[in-house]
Amino acid sequence: MQPVVELVDLHTEIALRHGVARPVGGVSLSVGKGETLGIVGESGCGKTMTALSIMRLLPPGGHITGGSILFGDTDLATLDEAGMRAIRGNRVGMIFQDPMTSLNPCMTIGDQVAETVLLHREATRTQARKRAEEVLDLVGLPDVKRRLDSYPHQLSGGMRQRVVIAMALACEPELLIADEPTTALDVTIQKQILRLIDDLRAQLGMAVILVTHDLGVIAGHSDRVAVMYAGKVVETSSTQELFDNPRHPYTEALFRALPENVDPDRELYSIPGLPPDLSNPPSGCRFAARCGYATDGCRAEEPSLTGDGHPFACFHPLGPAEQATANPRTEPAPAENGSALLDVRSLVRDFRVSSNGVLRRASGTVSAVADVSFTVRAGETFGLVGESGCGKSTVGRLLVAEDTPTSGSVSFDGTEISTKSNRALRELRRDFQLMFQDPYASLDPRMRVRSILREPLAIQRRGSAPEQERAVAALLDEVGLPRAALEKYPHEFSGGQRQRIGLARALALRPRLIVADEPVSALDVSVQAQILNLMRALQREHDLTYVFISHDLSVIRYIATTIGVMYLGKLVEVGPAEQVYSAPAHPYTKGLIDAIPLADPLREHRKESAGVRGELPSALTPPSGCRFRTRCPLATDICAEQVPPMRRFSEQGQRAACHHPLKAPVPERMAG
Amino acid sequence: MSAIPADDAAVPESRRARGSLWRMLSEFLENRLAAVGLGVVVLFVLFCYLGPLIYHTDQTHIELSEATLAPSLAHPLGTNEVGYDQLGRLMVGGQSSLEVGIAAALLATAFGTLWGAIAGYAGGFVDAAMMRVVDALLAVPALFLLLFLSSIARPNVGLLILVIALISWLGPARLVRGQALTLRTRDYVRSVRLMGGGPIRAVLRHIAPNAIGTVVVNATFQVADAILTVAALSFLGLGIPPPAANWGDMLSNGINYTYDGYWWLIYPPGLAIVLVVVAFNLIGDALRDSFDVRLRGR
Amino acid sequence: MTGFIARRLVQSIVVVLLVTVIVFILLHLLPGGPARAQLGPRATPVAIDAFNHRMGYDRPIPVQYWTWLEQLATGNLGFSVKLNQSVLSLIGERLPKTLILTILSTLFALVVAIPLGMVQAVRRNQVSDYAITFWAFVFYATPPFFLGVVLIVVFSVYLPILPAEAPQSSSLGVILSQPAGLILPVLTLALLTVAQFSRYMRSAVIENLAEDYVRTARSKGAGERTVLVRHVLRNSLIPIATLLGLSLPAIFSGALITEAVFNFPGMGELFWTAAQTQDYPIMLGITVLVGLATVIGSLLADLAYAALDPRVRFA
Repeated sequence: MQPVVELVDLHTEIALRHGVARPVGGVSLSVGKGETLGIVGESGCGKTMTALSIMRLLPPGGHITGGSILFGDTDLATLDEAGMRAIRGNRVGMIFQDPMTSLNPCMTIGDQVAETVLLHREATRTQARKRAEEVLDLVGLPDVKRRLDSYPHQLSGGMRQRVVIAMALACEPELLIADEPTTALDVTIQKQILRLIDDLRAQLGMAVILVTHDLGVIAGHSDRVAVMYAGKVVETSSTQELFDNPRHPYTEALFRALPENVDPDRELYSIPGLPPDLSNPPSGCRFAARCGYATDGCRAEEPSLTGDGHPFACFHPLGPAEQATANPRTEPAPAENGSALLDVRSLVRDFRVSSNGVLRRASGTVSAVADVSFTVRAGETFGLVGESGCGKSTVGRLLVAEDTPTSGSVSFDGTEISTKSNRALRELRRDFQLMFQDPYASLDPRMRVRSILREPLAIQRRGSAPEQERAVAALLDEVGLPRAALEKYPHEFSGGQRQRIGLARALALRPRLIVADEPVSALDVSVQAQILNLMRALQREHDLTYVFISHDLSVIRYIATTIGVMYLGKLVEVGPAEQVYSAPAHPYTKGLIDAIPLADPLREHRKESAGVRGELPSALTPPSGCRFRTRCPLATDICAEQVPPMRRFSEQGQRAACHHPLKAPVPERMAG
Repeated sequence: MSAIPADDAAVPESRRARGSLWRMLSEFLENRLAAVGLGVVVLFVLFCYLGPLIYHTDQTHIELSEATLAPSLAHPLGTNEVGYDQLGRLMVGGQSSLEVGIAAALLATAFGTLWGAIAGYAGGFVDAAMMRVVDALLAVPALFLLLFLSSIARPNVGLLILVIALISWLGPARLVRGQALTLRTRDYVRSVRLMGGGPIRAVLRHIAPNAIGTVVVNATFQVADAILTVAALSFLGLGIPPPAANWGDMLSNGINYTYDGYWWLIYPPGLAIVLVVVAFNLIGDALRDSFDVRLRGR
Repeated sequence: MTGFIARRLVQSIVVVLLVTVIVFILLHLLPGGPARAQLGPRATPVAIDAFNHRMGYDRPIPVQYWTWLEQLATGNLGFSVKLNQSVLSLIGERLPKTLILTILSTLFALVVAIPLGMVQAVRRNQVSDYAITFWAFVFYATPPFFLGVVLIVVFSVYLPILPAEAPQSSSLGVILSQPAGLILPVLTLALLTVAQFSRYMRSAVIENLAEDYVRTARSKGAGERTVLVRHVLRNSLIPIATLLGLSLPAIFSGALITEAVFNFPGMGELFWTAAQTQDYPIMLGITVLVGLATVIGSLLADLAYAALDPRVRFA
């Protein structure tokens, strides 16, 4: 069967200020009708550029320099612009990563979807609007008639992405290209959108190219996979075959870096080194510099894709036997000494939302944190997980006394910190520090690393100048950065390196607790693995306690000893990590676990539940009683009337707040 | 396993840090228009300050017998209505124009930056109050205020600088306040507080240096605006009284003779003003571009 | 949106009050005080005392301010002894003409600058962009009176097709019936504004062209013109609306100079004459009015901004 689109040895170049980058260096792929091809790889591998090349939507300075893109009878690589315009939105549709910025803020939803129709079909405005309504209904947008005249900022992230999909499908294209369509969305919404794409593909008989960095998404939603590295395809095969039997060392390395595949008592595998500079690619195999199996032959000559059915580009592919290499074990974590380091009681944080009236009176309050209580013991890693709007970041700020709670208390080592003034807290702050999410915004771009690391010592007046210098150098050693880094500015480092600097800064005052707010969310999987390993090692060495905040449950499962799950300001479940993950008591926890894409096609396809349905309710008017009830498959009347109390579900301390938990609670111990 | 470079921690040598000032300067000069602007400014400074040392003229004694002579070898740009040599006057006048412009700009920038930084970092009511004052002063067009003040008493150089600065500090105040508001929420400013640092450290060590870009860009535009304002005041008859020379005065004087055809009284000072102002604008524009690139240079 | 407008309204009222405070301060900066200003430098101390008492200038400052504010509110802007007319009536004669000048030139500037900025953005870094940028810089750097004079020389002296002076009548009708006399003043004032606006438009369009939603529009098959007109234009006009509000003080200042150059019988010229003759009541009255006009203009610009940006309309 002829493929819908076929790329043959595609080369793309982008002219930079100094020099030329070659993000696509000879890519060959094909997609058939009704099938989904996943293109997977880390940032910089060229997968997005490949997708953009098909649409000929390269950034300024970019153009195709070789190869062909066969779409039906036409070669898109050489087609003139007018011809391309007739194809874009008509026979090929594309959806992008960030639905907020992908939509024109000044045009209504209806107009934007209708525009596709008006561009390619002889239709009146009324007819186009009608078609827009149809398509928006098809993608599952609730309340379509009213939404036609809404603007993008009035919709949630999931709904916006549905609109983007509607725009791409309005003319029933033969091919849909999806570039990281769910990366910017919550994991429960992600599942909905990916399923939607699958359903639409079946309904419309399209071919789909799914570009993503997430192997779990690939496992669950693609029929065939192409793995890309440094601008080239290193391996392609059917999905099941790839996961069962990877041939290329890079593919294997990716699998071994995934936290979900690794037991918590083992280290994550991290790929050493950095991807090559694509304005000056190395001769020979591009992965050779980082490959554990590389020989001189690999560096001299570039391997081409060989093999039918499951082609790969490697001189020393893996055979089935080599996958048995396990990750090294870590040293066992020191036994928790059981004493409570951080005690959070009935924490509440409300934000007044000013109305738009004249006097800006508070028209309502957002209860960002609504009565949360938990304890963190010394030496453990408490993982706080939840989706957007659940309040976990607010809790993080309250834990380090950056913000004061509306009521409730936070006590650190017996001392209450939530009500203290800044001055009183000054000395206490040595003991708890924060590590930030965004590696690009957490370091002052105008300060050298030396000053950045010395600053906490200078503020707290720890040590003389030479002592501080020595301390700073030692910190760099601990996080694995060379001494030369001291003289450099933050923009000279990669994301992972900046997170190391951020970690070093957090460690400078030798705190006992570090609250890490999404520390690895902005990093590629292999870099993420390095940082997680590093954090583990430092925890052992310095007897640290972590509160690890993340939306990624698989990371939390790997690194946390205790997990707390938050939803819309409430702590719905908390307990030992293994228990919460393998035998959750709360339906939301289960829904969250289900929604995580696993890098295992069989398990992905065996998931029965449709996941958590519906949208996140407004935080201004949260549902009465149990806040999760609007999306819970088990909800009944009592859930709307009574706030469910926290009950114990195991001897080890697993607690959840639900009227219809998934397992039986442990009876309360009698007092006395 | 064969020898592999150290992990992600290895920093590639190609990214060596040169001094930041040198890098900025070289990026800046890559913009050819900026280089032209800088060149023009340097030329004029030399012209105005070194010129009189080479080319001596008398700018204080009236010599009516030499009035309104057309350009000749003795007077390359002719003479004006009281006999002053135009070329020499252009040099001396330039000194005054440049000095007033730069001094006023520096004063305005310093004061405005402080005002804006405090307002932006403090936020809330303090911010609102301080900015309403700025709004009110902005609402009254500068020229009207200046004319009013000048009509009370013709200013000398010092007073003129003060008054122009008094009007001009509003621009940097607005800009810096905007910057402070944005920077206040940046993680690296948050971290100062979390390490136990106070607001003074946050403003001085983190917000101010990161706002410097905007401030410097704005300062160059201030110089340009100040030169234009002095010229406007002179035209309206309320600038620095003669025999002190400045370009605006020369120009407005010359305009009286438009119909007499004494073009050398009009176009040289006019062109001088335009050239210097364009030069400063080019420099400011290029500085703004280069600061943007740097901050975006991931 | 009503909230946004209401907030801006309250802010504007505060600003207007502050403007009156500023002018009040100016009033008291006069050497000899307002009495000397009204009565002239040769007034006797007795006359000054009497005047002060009659006008209430010997009462405490806050009371004076309040009285003055009341006067303003009832339209009493003072009386010009030198011209023997109430300031309000003088302004009444002149204001419409200045408004015609400023409105016409602003409209002209917008009509030229908006497409010009777009053209520049699309042809970024090409010859036409550099050429337009060059002229924009030159016009921006030219003192308005110099520009006016050059225009006069070109169009009235060398090619005598336009009059060098605006019609001198005090009647609006006469002025409007001789449009030729308006052309040069409007052009002078407009050229300065065009320069600034087209630069802003250019950078706004360049920024918007790099936004994701433009890429989405292209991915739907939209051509460059559709992208520019249907998508980018509206988004780029938003900062222009704000810019317009901020430019009003400068436009009024420019109007003052333009009126002086062309002898245009507007408020600016009145102010200038008053400055030369030290007629303080007129100057103060006009300052208050211009301040008020600027604030109102700013408010209108904000209305336009709210109308253009749905994120403000439906917060």
